[in-house]
Amino acid sequence: MSAVPLQLLPEGLEVSFKLLPAILVLSMLLLFLVIGYLFKVADAEGMWVAGRSIGNVENGMAIGANWMSAASYLGMAGIMVLSGFYGLAFIVGWSTGYFILLIFMAAQMRRFGKYTAPDFVGDRFNSDSARAIGAVTTFLIGFVYAIGQARGMGLVGLYIFGDIGLPGLSGYQSMVVFMMAITVGYLTLSGMLGATKNMAVQYVILIVAFLAGLYAVGFSQGYSTVLPQIEYGALFDQLSNEFSEPFTNESYYLWIATAFSLVVGTCGLPHVLVRFYTVESERTARWSTVWGLFFICLLYLSAPAFAAFGVDLYGGVGMSTAEADTIVVLAAQLAELPRWFVGFVAAGGIAAAIATTAGLFIAGSSAISHDIYANIIKEDATQREQVFVGRAAIVALGVITTLAALDPAAPIAALVSYAFSLAGAVLFPMFFLGLWWENTNRQGALAGMTTGLVIWTIPMINEVLPTYVGSLDGTISPTLAQWVPAIGSALIAVPIVFAVTIGVSMATEEPPEDIKRLVRQCHSPEPMQQMDSAEDIVDSDAPADD
Amino acid sequence: MTDNDTRESENTTHDSADGRVEPDGGTVTSAAQSHRETDYLDREVNLLKPSTPFMRDHLRVVWTGFAIWAVVVFGPVTATAIAPGVMTQTIPGIGFPLHYFLVSIGAPGGALALSFWYARRRDKLDEKYGIEHGSGSSPGTGEGTPAADGGVEE
Repeated sequence: MSAVPLQLLPEGLEVSFKLLPAILVLSMLLLFLVIGYLFKVADAEGMWVAGRSIGNVENGMAIGANWMSAASYLGMAGIMVLSGFYGLAFIVGWSTGYFILLIFMAAQMRRFGKYTAPDFVGDRFNSDSARAIGAVTTFLIGFVYAIGQARGMGLVGLYIFGDIGLPGLSGYQSMVVFMMAITVGYLTLSGMLGATKNMAVQYVILIVAFLAGLYAVGFSQGYSTVLPQIEYGALFDQLSNEFSEPFTNESYYLWIATAFSLVVGTCGLPHVLVRFYTVESERTARWSTVWGLFFICLLYLSAPAFAAFGVDLYGGVGMSTAEADTIVVLAAQLAELPRWFVGFVAAGGIAAAIATTAGLFIAGSSAISHDIYANIIKEDATQREQVFVGRAAIVALGVITTLAALDPAAPIAALVSYAFSLAGAVLFPMFFLGLWWENTNRQGALAGMTTGLVIWTIPMINEVLPTYVGSLDGTISPTLAQWVPAIGSALIAVPIVFAVTIGVSMATEEPPEDIKRLVRQCHSPEPMQQMDSAEDIVDSDAPADD
Repeated sequence: MTDNDTRESENTTHDSADGRVEPDGGTVTSAAQSHRETDYLDREVNLLKPSTPFMRDHLRVVWTGFAIWAVVVFGPVTATAIAPGVMTQTIPGIGFPLHYFLVSIGAPGGALALSFWYARRRDKLDEKYGIEHGSGSSPGTGEGTPAADGGVEE
């Protein structure tokens, strides 16, 4: 991505306080809290212990809600508006990766029974160092991923709440601070209530808002009737060539690098894997992945149509990145739909952003409080201390995310893809090799994860850091940026990390027998009980070797 | 995708050669029987060297799906880079340029169809090996089988 300074006031968007949409957003948040409260009792007693089974469809919806953030809701249509055909790399990467997750990892993860990334690497490789790297990576993913969410909330929040004008900040910046404050506050409340059931509800709100917006725009403007996902094809004549012509904006190499990184990132993201432990059997884990992909495709097949409608309605060229990132809302506004309806579409975007940010922050803070603090720093930490550290981590995440989002380096989809490159480079090889090659050992994992972190960091310093540091102007090394782009660095990183992990594992001792048995149990076709983990079966609760 | 029958006879032959099959005269298929006699905790896990009949069958499905997936996902883009003229032609009727259609609808749709196909195939494998999910049966692994023979790469 070129380092064009971002314009952060969506000029075309009607910025003012709107009562009805504001009430809509606030009542939506209230609804999430109420649902969380109502299911609290069931959570405490029944959720894990009584073996309540979450079915295919419901878990599929949860996968969808967990998955679809501001990047899917706003960013994807935005990147297609800005980059045309290149934007499709995001649709492809974010949807087709689920197949790889399904055939290689979903059922095995279910059997392993550990659902946080640090837990997996810590136990599988029997190493506290691996656990620590996993925890730091999880925290970093949460931070980088959430910058894109904060940007989305800030932009859409402007439409709903107007310029609230905090002293010293622009309208967009004030809104980022305001929305992040709401998110962290909401998280503190909902974290206490344990709102698991919310996922399915959030999916329904999100998809209804998005599809209703698309159908209303398409119908009112005469673009489409029953199937806008196909009917927008007729618009290609009218749209400028930039929209569909291949490789005019970005190269073939970057296209592949981006799509590849998003695929492997999908398979390494901690908050995605968590969905597989809540189901009753591996079979449900598999089928709910199929359902999840179906629910995701509903939105992903519609996003290009929204982008096409938006571009045509906007007319002319020179849309700012901020306008592109709000194209879903902007299109509804340009189609002159009623205000409350546009607000409804905007509210869907905020729901998507808040739901995903909540998941990310909880994963990030538990990595700090559970995996680093309680497991490594202070082993006899009390429950209260852990909760305190967890809360502090959420607030810290909120603060640094807000700061980074005040002047973000790239459009939403690009920001989020940095997190995918990270997950793909550091965690995916560990999950994949850890599950499919029993001889992967501690030394190999440590060497591989470190390599992955380094390869991810280099292009981030090369391309992204300069946008935050005034004395640096533009990308440091354009050649490096061309071959190891920050947005798709996993294409280079994954093969190298695989090679390093395998090489070091072969050069050092084989892992102990109990670890091998653990891996074998993950692949045994024998059915397991809901509460069983592979560890219970092979009964190997030995402390870490290092 | 070959039919399961040939696989079963192959598996039986394979297992008999190892002297591990002891027919119990029951009604289960030979695949299900060899499954019962396999101690999965003693069998090596290696993506490239399936060590049990079940994993061999499973990996065949996995690799088939993976190959098709790779073509569906990266094929149209690559073809567009190689032959832009052919790939950017407009599809009559719906108006899409071919490459745009194949990438934006073909790839996600293809992945969804493949996922469905995989889940179905995997269910059939469970059936073949007599594995039932969610019935509350306890994990019953066999015992005393010889060490992993490494299997054969196919």
